Amino acid sequence: MVYPFGLGLYYSFTSYWLQYPNRFRFVWFDNYVDLIGEPLFARALEFTLGFTLVAVVVQVGLGLAVALFLHARIPGRGAIRALMLLPLMMPPVITALMWKIMMASTNAGILNYLLSFLGVDPINWFGSTQGAIVSVLIIDTWGNLPFVALVLLGGLQALPTEPYEAARVDGAGPADILRYVTLPLLSPFIVLAVLFRTMDSLRIFDVIYATTLGGPNEATTNLQIMAYQYSFQWYQMGKGMAQAIVLLLLVVIVSYLLMRLWNRAAESTS
Amino acid sequence: MTSQAVLYRRTVRNIAIAVAAVVLLVWTVFPFVWILLTSFKSPGDIISVPPTFTFTPTIDNYAALVIGERGGQYSSTRPDFPRFFLNSMIISIGAVALSVVAGIPAAYALARFTFPMKGAFGFVLMSFRFVPFIAFVIPLYVLYQQFGLYNTHAGLIFAYQLITLPFTIWMLRSFFMEIPLEIQEAAKIDGASWLGVLTRVILPLSMPGISVTVILGFMFSWNAFNYPLMLAGRQTFPVTVGAIQFISYEQVLWGQMAAATIVAALPQLVLSLMVQKYIVRGLTMGAVK
Repeated sequence: MVYPFGLGLYYSFTSYWLQYPNRFRFVWFDNYVDLIGEPLFARALEFTLGFTLVAVVVQVGLGLAVALFLHARIPGRGAIRALMLLPLMMPPVITALMWKIMMASTNAGILNYLLSFLGVDPINWFGSTQGAIVSVLIIDTWGNLPFVALVLLGGLQALPTEPYEAARVDGAGPADILRYVTLPLLSPFIVLAVLFRTMDSLRIFDVIYATTLGGPNEATTNLQIMAYQYSFQWYQMGKGMAQAIVLLLLVVIVSYLLMRLWNRAAESTS
Repeated sequence: MTSQAVLYRRTVRNIAIAVAAVVLLVWTVFPFVWILLTSFKSPGDIISVPPTFTFTPTIDNYAALVIGERGGQYSSTRPDFPRFFLNSMIISIGAVALSVVAGIPAAYALARFTFPMKGAFGFVLMSFRFVPFIAFVIPLYVLYQQFGLYNTHAGLIFAYQLITLPFTIWMLRSFFMEIPLEIQEAAKIDGASWLGVLTRVILPLSMPGISVTVILGFMFSWNAFNYPLMLAGRQTFPVTVGAIQFISYEQVLWGQMAAATIVAALPQLVLSLMVQKYIVRGLTMGAVK
């Protein structure tokens, strides 16, 4: 595993183009410098970071709500919890295809049909730039909301009971208990969910590939899709690899910061 | 507060809970229901406006999947789904088998021995969970072309180790660590070597954990899409890559694609219910009585 990676790192400093092997030269940082002047790179970087931010906020926020809901003793929660495992363990590309069928932009699409009862005009899901971004977000959320919800539900069920009794003795209401007892105690689990969702959102590929392929008008092109296009559609392995390394650095930096946050949260609650 | 107001508030609360539960249930289950329905529809019913819930079911879509490339007048355009399914089985089982064989000694070492750079080794394994696949697949693609591993099961099984091996080592390590040290020490006093401790004490006691690891590793391999997309060809595509073959420039075979997603998802649906029990058993029972 180390050798392929080292080889890839080396490629990122070369003009490796699969169809023109005799143009192979060592070009130092040219591929990286070229990225700075490339408008698509700026947009892909922006989409990568923006999508990750929105996806994490939406999924962790909703996941927390679902976890709190399932933690309360509601009827049928065992069944809901078991059913939520199903989207979680689906192949992401299959999830994307399922939604692609439901998100047909024509009037035959079930989602547009159901939304019409709410007075929503037919949405051009994958055909418009905004629609495509929202579609990818919805599909990704369907597959990964259960992950956040089940991690946080596990956290809720492992919380000690004494702080709750103390808060109740002090006369705290449900909102105060959530704000001052539950959320601080749950913070290591929240950070863990944020860590995993951030890492996966930064490099989301399967869902975008199966639905929009980065389009329309490159609206859903993230760094991984861009690196894929450079290396496997135009066979410019050197440039593609440079983009992959930039993404890798981004992932390493963000994961390092989040892991530090996680350690701090775990220490402060234990 | 009057008793009537309390009753009113309680009713509102119960209705709100019921609505939320139904919304959550529909959001989770409806896509499966709709795709299952679509997979039994004829092409005409699929594009009917408005979408229909009542139709004459047909098994044509599944029949087309089973027939695959053999027979039928569209043999050149029709994805060979039985082969894709078999490929998924071969690659996933092979990847898990290799990971377990290679992962048991590594997990045992991480769980029970101290060695230089142990922390760094564990961290690198953990970080594979977060690595963007494209950084590995580009060099692997070039190497596979050179060494004839492109479009082979063996090549894919090796590439899948990037997914399954770190996972297997990390999971097995956690299960091995649950086994009390006293049992291991007792075996050592009886004259067992480290290999004897591993094969006669650790492995039998962690069988539930190993089963869970194997099943989950199989499921992660089954879900893999991006490595085979670049490193496999039509002869070795797994179901995940096979399912998108129903989208071509000329048309999308919606019905067959729906049937394909159901078939591709089936092992995952069955296994996730199985592992649900195993996870509880594996984590609560363990080896400690």
